[in-house]
Amino acid sequence: MIIRTDHVAGSAFVALGIGVLALSGDLPVGTLSFPGAGMMPKLVAGLMIVFGLLLVGRAGESAPLAGLAWGDLPHAARVVAITAVAIALYQPLGFVITMALLLFTLTFGAERRPVLAAAAFSAGVVALTYLLFAVVLKTPLEPGVLGF
Amino acid sequence: MGTLDSLLLGFSVALQPDVLWYAFLGCLVGTIVGVLPGIGPLSGISILLPATFGLDTTKSVVMLAGIYYGSQYGGSTTSILMRIPGEAASVMTCIDGYAMAQKGRAGAALCIAAVGSWVAGTFGVIMLTLIAPPLANFALRFGPPEYTALLVLGLVFLAYMSSTSLPRTLLMACVGLMLGTIGIDNMTGHFRYSFDIPELGDGIGIVPVAVGLFGLGEILSTPSANMIRTVIAPKLRQLLPSRQEWRQSVMPIARGSILGFLVGLTPGSAHIISSFLSYGVERRLSKHPEEFGKGAVAGVAGPESANNAASTGAFVPMLALGLPTGPITAVLIAALMIHGVPPGPTLVNEHPNVFWGFVASMYVGNLMLLALNLPLVSIFVNVLRIPYAYLYPLVIMFCIVGVYEVSHSIVDVWIMLIMGVVGYGLRKFGLDPAPLVLGLVIAPTFEMSLRQSLIMSNGNWTIFVQRPIAAVLLAVCAALLALAALSLVRARKDWRSKLAEAESGEGS
Repeated sequence: MIIRTDHVAGSAFVALGIGVLALSGDLPVGTLSFPGAGMMPKLVAGLMIVFGLLLVGRAGESAPLAGLAWGDLPHAARVVAITAVAIALYQPLGFVITMALLLFTLTFGAERRPVLAAAAFSAGVVALTYLLFAVVLKTPLEPGVLGF
Repeated sequence: MGTLDSLLLGFSVALQPDVLWYAFLGCLVGTIVGVLPGIGPLSGISILLPATFGLDTTKSVVMLAGIYYGSQYGGSTTSILMRIPGEAASVMTCIDGYAMAQKGRAGAALCIAAVGSWVAGTFGVIMLTLIAPPLANFALRFGPPEYTALLVLGLVFLAYMSSTSLPRTLLMACVGLMLGTIGIDNMTGHFRYSFDIPELGDGIGIVPVAVGLFGLGEILSTPSANMIRTVIAPKLRQLLPSRQEWRQSVMPIARGSILGFLVGLTPGSAHIISSFLSYGVERRLSKHPEEFGKGAVAGVAGPESANNAASTGAFVPMLALGLPTGPITAVLIAALMIHGVPPGPTLVNEHPNVFWGFVASMYVGNLMLLALNLPLVSIFVNVLRIPYAYLYPLVIMFCIVGVYEVSHSIVDVWIMLIMGVVGYGLRKFGLDPAPLVLGLVIAPTFEMSLRQSLIMSNGNWTIFVQRPIAAVLLAVCAALLALAALSLVRARKDWRSKLAEAESGEGS
C-alpha cells in the first residue's frame, strides 16, 4: 500500500482528538439543560476524530508521502532554532541586544551574507525600530539588562 | 439619523488631520505589504496591532483596515511586473498582467489594476454604507439560538466555498474550535487544558496564532534561495492605457465589483476566491477567450476589481453582525475589542463615530491608494530590490515584537513559534490554516451561545428549529451540505474543484 499525505495528516488528527478526550477526563460534560465545561471540547474532539477518519478514508486522492519535497526543511529548522533562542533570551536580555543578535545570526549565520553588511544591517534596523516604537509610537520595548 | 447625516458625521471624523494621517499610514503600509511577496495583510495587521494601542479606536481601526484594502492594491504590482503574487488574491493577475508587461504594456496594466481597484473599492464602500446599518438593526433580533445557527452556517459555508475538500476545511475549523476552548470556562470557572501555565488561563490569543500560521509559517515555507527577482520598472508616461484598453476594461471592472462584493459577504478567503471567479467569468464571457493568458485586459481588470470589492464586502458581516468571515477580519475584531468596542449590531448605534468614521475613511482611503499606487509605482517597485535574505529576518523580528507587545507575555511568543511550525506542516500536507483561525475566533461565541440556547430551552435541541431565523439559517446549512454531498456522489468537477486545480497550477 502506498502511504499518502492524507493518511498521515488524518491519523495525526485522530490521535490529537483521542489525546484531547484523554485529557478531558476531569471536565464535566453536564446535562443538556445545563451543559458543563467538558461538553464543547469533547464534542469538537469527537468531530475531529470523525473528520480525521474521513481524511484517511479518502486519502487515495492525495499525493504519495514519498513525493513530498523536504528541500526547505534544513532552512526552516535553522530559522526555528535561531528564533527559539531569541525568544528565550528576549526577556533577560531585552529588545536591543536580542534582536541585534537575532538579525545578525539570521543574515550572517543562516544566509551567509558578508559579516560587515550583516552587522550594519542588524545594528541599523534595531536602532531604527527602537526609535520608531519607543519614541514615535510611544510603545516601550522590553528593556532587559541594559535598562532601555 | 438618516444614512446621509450619519455619513456626514463619518466624514467629519475621517477628515480630521490625525485620522487622515493614520488612514494614509495604513494605506502606505498596506501597499508595501501587498507589494512584498511572503508578507500578507494578516501578518502586516497583526504585527502593527500593538502600535495602535496608544491610539483611539477610530484611528486604530482606520489604520489597520487601510493595511487590508491597501494590500489588495499593492498585490497587483508584483503580479504584473514580476509574475509573483505579492498577495494571494493577486494570483490571477499574474497570468495576463505579466503577459501585458512582456508586451510592453506594464504601465497600462498597472493603471487598469489601480483604477479597477478604486472603482471596486468605492462601490464596496457605498454598498457597505447602505447595507450594514439595516443589517445591524435586523441582527438586534438575534438571540443565542440564532447566533449558534449563524455560526454553524458560517463554518458550513466556509467549507462549501473552500477550494480544498469539505472534511479538510471542517477538520481545520475543529482544530481552531478546540484551541478556542483552552482557558477558563466562563460559565463554570473550570480551567481547561492550561497545564498549570497561568497565561493559558485567558485562552490562546488570535494574534499569536495568526502571526505564527501566516507570518512565520510563510517564512519557513519560503527558502531564501528560491527568491530570485528581476524587476521591470515602468516609467510614469507609460502608465496611461490606450482608448481600446479602457473600453475593454469597463465591463470587467463593473462585473468584478459586483461579484467581488457579493463573494466578500461570505465566509472564507473571499478576496482570493472572488478573483478566481471573476477571471473565470471574464474568460467565459469574452468574445476572444483565446487571448486569456496572453495579455487580455479583462484578465487584469476583472480579478483586481473583484478582490478589492471582496475585501470591502467582508466588513459588512464584521461590522453589522460582529462575525469574522476570515482571519483578517478576525484580527480586526480583536483590535476593536482590545479598545473596548465590541463589533456587532450595537456598534452602529452605540459608537456611531467609530462606525461612520471608519466607513467614511474608506472612501478617502481608496482615493489615497489611487494617488499612491499610480505615480509612486516606481518607488514601490524599489522595495522589491531588498534581498529576501535581509527581509525575512526583519519580518521575524516584527513578529516577535508584535506578538509580545499585545500582552507582554513570552508564552504568546512561544505559541507563535509553535504555530509557525504547525503552519509549515499544514502547508506541506495541503491543509489551509485559515479555517483554523476562524474556528479559534468564533469558539467563545459559539460555545457560549450553544450552551445558553440549551439552558434557555431546558435541554431541548428543537429550539434551533422552533425559532424562524435559526430554522432558516440551519435549512441553508442543510442545503449546502446536501449540495456538497451530491457533487461528491456524482464525483463531477464543479467550480470549486476547478478553482483548486487552478490554484495548484499557479502555485507550482
